[in-house]
This record gives sequence, structure tokens and C-alpha cells, in this order.
Amino acid sequence: MAQTTRPRAAAPLFDADFIQKLEYLSLVSRRVFRGRLMAQRRTTQLGGGVEFADHREYTPGDDFRHLDWNLFARHDELLLKRFQEEEDLHVYILLDCSRSMAFGDPSKFDYARRIAAAMAYIALAELDRVAVSAFAGGIFADFPLTRGKARILSLLQFLEGLPVQDGPTDLARAARDFALRSRRRGLVIVVSDLFDPEGFERGLDVIRHNRHEPHVVQVYDRREAEPEVKGDLELFDVESGAIEKVTVAERNLQQYRAIFAEFLESVQRYCKAYGIGGTCSPTQVPFDDLILKMMRQTGAVA
Amino acid sequence: MNLVNPAGLWLAALAAPIIGLYILKIRLRREPVSTIQFWRRVFEEKKPRSIWQRLRHWVSLALQLLFLLLLTGALADPIFRWQQGQGRRRVLVLDDSASMNATDVAPSRFEAARAECRRIVDGMRLGDETAVIAAGTPPRVLCGLTDHQRTLREAIDAATPTDGPTRVDEAVALARRLLSGGPPGRGVVVVSDGGFDGAAALLKQADVEMVAIGGKTANVGVTRLQARRSLLDPVGYEILVEVSNASDGPAECRLELDLDDEPVDVVPLQLKPGERSVQVFEKTSADGGLLRAKLDRGGALAADDTAVALLPKRSRQKVRLETAGDLFLEKVFEAMPLVDLEVVKDPEAKPPATPPALTVFDGRTPDVLPPGPVLVVAPRASNALWKLGESIQNPVVAKQDGDSPLMTHIRLDNVLIPEARKLTLDPAAKPRVLVEAGGGDPIYAALERPEGRVVVLAVDLDKSDLPLQTAFPIMATNLLSWLSGTQGELREALATGSTTEAALPVETVPEAVRVLRPPSGPDRPLPAATGKVGLGPLDLAGIWKVVRRTPAPKGSKATTDDGAAEETLMELACNVADRRETDLRAPEGLEPRVEPALAGFFRRPLWFYLVACAWALTSWEWFLHQRRWID
Repeated sequence: MAQTTRPRAAAPLFDADFIQKLEYLSLVSRRVFRGRLMAQRRTTQLGGGVEFADHREYTPGDDFRHLDWNLFARHDELLLKRFQEEEDLHVYILLDCSRSMAFGDPSKFDYARRIAAAMAYIALAELDRVAVSAFAGGIFADFPLTRGKARILSLLQFLEGLPVQDGPTDLARAARDFALRSRRRGLVIVVSDLFDPEGFERGLDVIRHNRHEPHVVQVYDRREAEPEVKGDLELFDVESGAIEKVTVAERNLQQYRAIFAEFLESVQRYCKAYGIGGTCSPTQVPFDDLILKMMRQTGAVA
Repeated sequence: MNLVNPAGLWLAALAAPIIGLYILKIRLRREPVSTIQFWRRVFEEKKPRSIWQRLRHWVSLALQLLFLLLLTGALADPIFRWQQGQGRRRVLVLDDSASMNATDVAPSRFEAARAECRRIVDGMRLGDETAVIAAGTPPRVLCGLTDHQRTLREAIDAATPTDGPTRVDEAVALARRLLSGGPPGRGVVVVSDGGFDGAAALLKQADVEMVAIGGKTANVGVTRLQARRSLLDPVGYEILVEVSNASDGPAECRLELDLDDEPVDVVPLQLKPGERSVQVFEKTSADGGLLRAKLDRGGALAADDTAVALLPKRSRQKVRLETAGDLFLEKVFEAMPLVDLEVVKDPEAKPPATPPALTVFDGRTPDVLPPGPVLVVAPRASNALWKLGESIQNPVVAKQDGDSPLMTHIRLDNVLIPEARKLTLDPAAKPRVLVEAGGGDPIYAALERPEGRVVVLAVDLDKSDLPLQTAFPIMATNLLSWLSGTQGELREALATGSTTEAALPVETVPEAVRVLRPPSGPDRPLPAATGKVGLGPLDLAGIWKVVRRTPAPKGSKATTDDGAAEETLMELACNVADRRETDLRAPEGLEPRVEPALAGFFRRPLWFYLVACAWALTSWEWFLHQRRWID
């Protein structure tokens, strides 16, 4: 049975400074982010909205109210005006709470929660619907779909109260749980280190196959990318508890760095192959910088 | 096999903690990682060596146990059964004779011998004792029996080669005295080129081991150089030079003889195998000097390529002859090339201000003899030294003092003496009768007085046939030589290794020091006693000097660096002059050995090789560990 451990925070995870940064990011996102990351994924269903979208030829049976009489007067053509039907965007945040996320200084878990909070805040500010699911071996905690900026405090409390879970990461199972719970399509932001022993691809495939739009935020610690351990060691996997007795020489470190870089590269390749947004960052990068970086990746700013 | 130090086996007890630590396995440092999957991929690449991975832990243990085993063995110092019979007390007899200076073995035979001695000392084991003796002239103990290798090495390093003869027999006897009372064994190790008589016999001695240096090397050397005065020429010399070809083949060389760097003669020599060529040269020189014989192609030994001799300077002597007109006496002294004769026929003539080398009174006798050496022939009156008596008719020479230098080469028993005067000599003058008549009357006598020596001949030369005899000019020559003392005395060249005596003048300055100065090297002090002083052994070829050193008075110009004035009292020529030393061919049966005589296994004791193996093993294990081939 998986055990839960609440990380002991020396300082509050979401302090006043953090809230200020969220506000700033929200303002920035209104200016440059809107219509890109999220609005781009607004539904393209045409219908009774107020925003003009397109013309099409009249076919018998169409509602005469939608005919563009001005165009008929000028060109003697019966064309129907089409309007974009506005629909609320559903933003799902899948937050990795496995034991491996507690690694690093600052821990990847804190970093991931800040990112999740920032994304949720921006979405709520846009009046989108936001849900947060915490997973490790599977989804073990949910913050249900909510709407309105006023809900941000509840969401922050939820995030702050999340524990890390023992046991191996299983993104595929978490994705299946998520698909069962969330029938409404939307943007699924996966914040994780993606250290799934079975491979991260299966989990992302499940999300894609359920017609969600996944976006991967991969976080890692620099010590994971470039470890400085050497000599005779007993390597202890904090997730699985597995132990490996090895003798690490400089040559082994070089091999490790190459393998880890290849892993990061494989994530990016996957995202590119399926048109998925992907962001990768070490925890040493401030989370607000990472949010801006995500905006730049979407092309909102140069 | 026994162990010299069995207590060293306790070191093997360290194997227990080593094995224990390996069995218990030292706890590795735990390093938490977020995921182990990447590390597994790193080390999965080494899976093909998994069998070795399992074994390398035990290989590491085996290497460490082997290392401990080697160290334990080294500390225990094993000794084989065949080694136990060897004497552990050794005396190294180092040959430092002239032949050891040969350069057929680079850099020289002596250096090679010294290196052999060092190797033997390096091979000493715990408890071994070794002494070092130099087989020179005379054999001397350089270092007594000791187990301190550094002391032995310092003694060997301090040894210097000489030009003297080999005294191996005496050195071996001395070594046996040092080893007396110890267990039997081959305790005497002679490190020599075998260039001495009895080398083959020494090889058969049970307690002697020979370490031969050098091989059969051809050599040509000057084995004798002597000079003597010519019997025909008063200022001439006869020079004898002997050159020996100590080789199995013919030799060609050139002998050069020079006096004070002025060529005397150059002789090309063609010598048959083993031939000795003796050459005699004649040289006339009143000034004397350093006579040097040189060979241009001598061979491997340089010391016998040159020989030296000293020819003394012959100074002229002033003789005053007061005579009524004896032609024989006048002609005798005139015939002497180094004599300045002054003939005085006036009986009233005043004596000179400074006394001459000899004053001769013929047929007249002053009441008071003048100072300086005096010869009175046919005295006519008594004086303080003798009383003139009756005449003796037909005296017969009954006795001659053959030991006196005045009578050298003289025989007067056939001389016709019709008349002589009886003389009664004053005992206070310490008379020495040189020729005595049948009745015991002195005919020829020498007397001492403070003003100078006096010789009286009681024979009337006008009536005797003595002036017609060959003894007569010889008498005059002997007289002048005797009166001149050691001046002009010819000293023969000495052989290296010999000792000699020298009569040195009485020292009047208490601060004066007399030293014997060798051709090279530091001065050797001489005893301050007067009279005869023993010099030697003269173990280097060349010119030795007896030097008198006196502190220079204040304000005077010093002649040496330390401010002392030096005066050369005597010079001695010294040559190798030893055919055995010139012969560099080792005797039959004495071949240079490849392996030197050592106390232990191979060249060093076994513990040395065990430690060396342990060191190599450690290096190897370190290398393997660094490569992570072993734990």
C-alpha cells in the first residue's frame, strides 16, 4: 500500500510574493497569451455565437435569419453567415506526486505545484474551467472542475496539501483514470518528471487517444542531469526502493549524462511528432520564467 | 629452509582482519537517486563481464593476501639449506696494487673491484658481519667486522688505489686473524686481478674465495730505471732502463729518455712475447735533474709507462794545494773536472778568507792547521792532532778500513812504500785509521776537529809508487766526495711499496714541521725527531719530497696558501718497477666470474626480492583498482 508523506515546508509554498507573480503572469497572458495557448484550443464549433467566423452557401432548410442580406443585395448571392460558438475551455492539470518528484533542491514537487498553480490561475482568470488531478501510481487526489478566479485560493490550498506518494510512477494508469473521469475534451497539462519505468509514451498516448490536447511540462533537477557522485556507491531508488551497487567512474558519469540527455530529447521528439506542446526545464529556472518560456514557445512573443 | 627471523611470521595474523573485512563487506555509501533506470542502462553495458564482476571481489582479496604473504616472508627472512653452510662472517680483501689501476675494465680494475665489494656488502643479511682489508703496502684494515652496511660502504668508498705491489698473502693472513674463532667457511673473499705470485695456490684454499677482476690484457712497461755515476767520466752517468713486454704477442713501442724535459735518447723497441729489453744509456751532466723514461704505447696500465730517477747536481769544489812542487798531486786535482785548483808554492802565503773545499799540505805542516777540510801529505811536524815520530822503513800495509767511504775501490797492499813517518794520533780527535802498517802504525787516517775534518797520509809521495797506482786518483776522488758530505750523493730510484731512511738535519726551529709529500694526495707528517727518519711506504710512483714547513715571519711573503714557508730537504724517485704488476694477465684458472660472490640468493638476499615482488604487486593492484577491474 502506498504511503503518503506530506513535504515539510520550511516556508509557505504559495506566499504573497508567489500570488503577486501569478497576478503579473495573468496580466501578461491577457495581452499576449490569450488566444494562443488556450484560446487556440477553444472549440471550432460554429453556431450561435456572436463572433463572425465565415460564409457558406445557402442550402434549402437553412435558417433565413442567418442569411447575409447585405451580401445578397450587392452580389445577388445567398450566403449564410457563420458565427463561432463560444464554449468554455476545460483545463486539466495532471500533477505528478511520485516520490521521485521530491528529489532536488528546490524539490521538483514544489516546483511542479507552483507551475500547476500558475497555469490554473491564468486559466481561472480567463474564466476557463480548471481541474487538478494528483497522480503517482494512479490518480489519488482530485480538485474537481471549477471556474472563476475566486476559486484560486481553494485550489492553492489543495495543491499545498498534496503529499508525495511512494511507489513507482504509472502515467498510463493515471491517464486511464483521468479519461474515465473527464469526458469533456480539453487541454491536459501534464507536470511531471516522466520517470515512468514503463515509459511516458503510453500515458500520453492514452490522453491523445481520448481526444484531449496534452501539453507536457517536464521538470528535472540539475543533479539528475549531471550527477557528481563517484566511487563505490549503493544507489537507492527513492520510488521503487531498488538498490544497485556500482562503482561510478568518470566514464560512467559521461555515459549517464548522455543517456539522460537522450531521455530529454526523446520527450521532445515525441511532442514534436504528435504536435504536442512540450516544455522542459530544470528546477533551478524560476517558475515564472518557465511560464514565459512556454508563452514564447507558443509564438505569443518573439 | 630455515627462517632467520621466525617472529616475522606473526605478520601473517593480519590475514584474519583482511578476510574478515572482505567477508563482512564494507558498507557502501548510499546515494539516493530519483530513478535508477538510467544508472541501470549505464551498467547494463558491462553485463558481458558479469562473471568477472563476481570474481573480481575474490581476486582483490587474493591479491591482498598474496601481498601479505610476500611481506611476511620478507620479514621472516628465509634462508635455504645450502646457504646455511656459508660463513656469515666475511672479510673482503680489496686489491689496491698498481695493476688494479689498469683501465682494461672501465673505468678501472680498482673501481670494478670496489663495485664488487659494494655488491657483496649490499647482499648482507641480518646478522652478517663483514670486514674490509686493503691488500696494499702494508695490508691494512679499512673497516673491522661489522654488520653496519653504511660503515662498510664508506670504508670501501674511502679506499684509494696505489702503485704498490700486491700483498695478498699478508692480507689473507690478516683476514684469517680477524676471522679466527668463528665457524669454518669461505670467509675470505679476495677481490683482485690475480696479479700476484701464488694466486693459483690461493684459489685452492678452502677458506678463500676469489673474485677475479679484469682479464688477460697485454701490457708493456718500464720495469727498471736506475742511474749511477760513470766509472770513466766524473760528471757522467750510466742509465739502466728495462722494458718488459707482458703479453702473449709481440709489441712495438718507443722508449724516450729525457733529463729535465731535454731529450737524452729515443729508442724504438720491438719486443717479443714476454721479452725484457735492457738498455744502458750514458749521459754527462753536471747539473743533474729529473730523468724520465717514457713509453709511447705502454698499454692499459699508465703507472708503468713512465719511470723517473733523480740525478743530483754536481757543484764545483775549490782545492788549495800548498806544495813545494809535487807534480802528481797537482795533476791529480787538475784532472778532476769539478775541481778548481789553486797551487800555492810560497810558504809565506796567507790563507784565504774563506776556507776552500780542501786545503792540501804537501811536505809542509803548519803549526796550526787552517779551518776547513785539510789533507796533510807526508807531515813534517807535530801539531795538536798528532805527534810525529820516527820514520818507518818499508812499512807493509796490513789492514784497510773497507767500510770507510774514503777507502772505496782502493787496495794499497801492493803499493811500494819505502818510508813513512810514525804518527801518534790524538784520541780527542776521534781518529779513524784507514790504512794501518804491520806494526799498527797509522799510515792513512781521518781525524775530526771543530774547524773541519783532517786527513793525514804519512807517506812521502816522492819515494813511493803510490802516485803511479790507480788507487791514487781514486783516493783523491773519495776524499772530495767524503768531505762534501751528502751533496751530490746519488740516490737510487726506489720501487713503490718500499720504505727508506733519510738523515735529516737537526731542526732548530720548534715551530717547523717536516712532512713527506707524495706525488699526489695530502702530505704525510714525519716525526720531529732528529737523525734518521723512516720514510714510507712509498706507495705512489713519482717524485716524493721531504718538505720542511715553517710559519712565515710577520711581514714576509708567504710561499704557501696557509702562510708557511717551505723548503725541500730531500727528493726521492719512486717507480712501479715490478714485473708482476706490469703483467696484467690473470693466472690460469682465475677467470672473471659473471656472478659475484654474494651472501644471498642471486645477488641479494631473498627478502629483498620478496619485498620487490610485494611492491610490484601493490602497483599492479593499484592499477587494476583504478581501472575498476578489481574491487
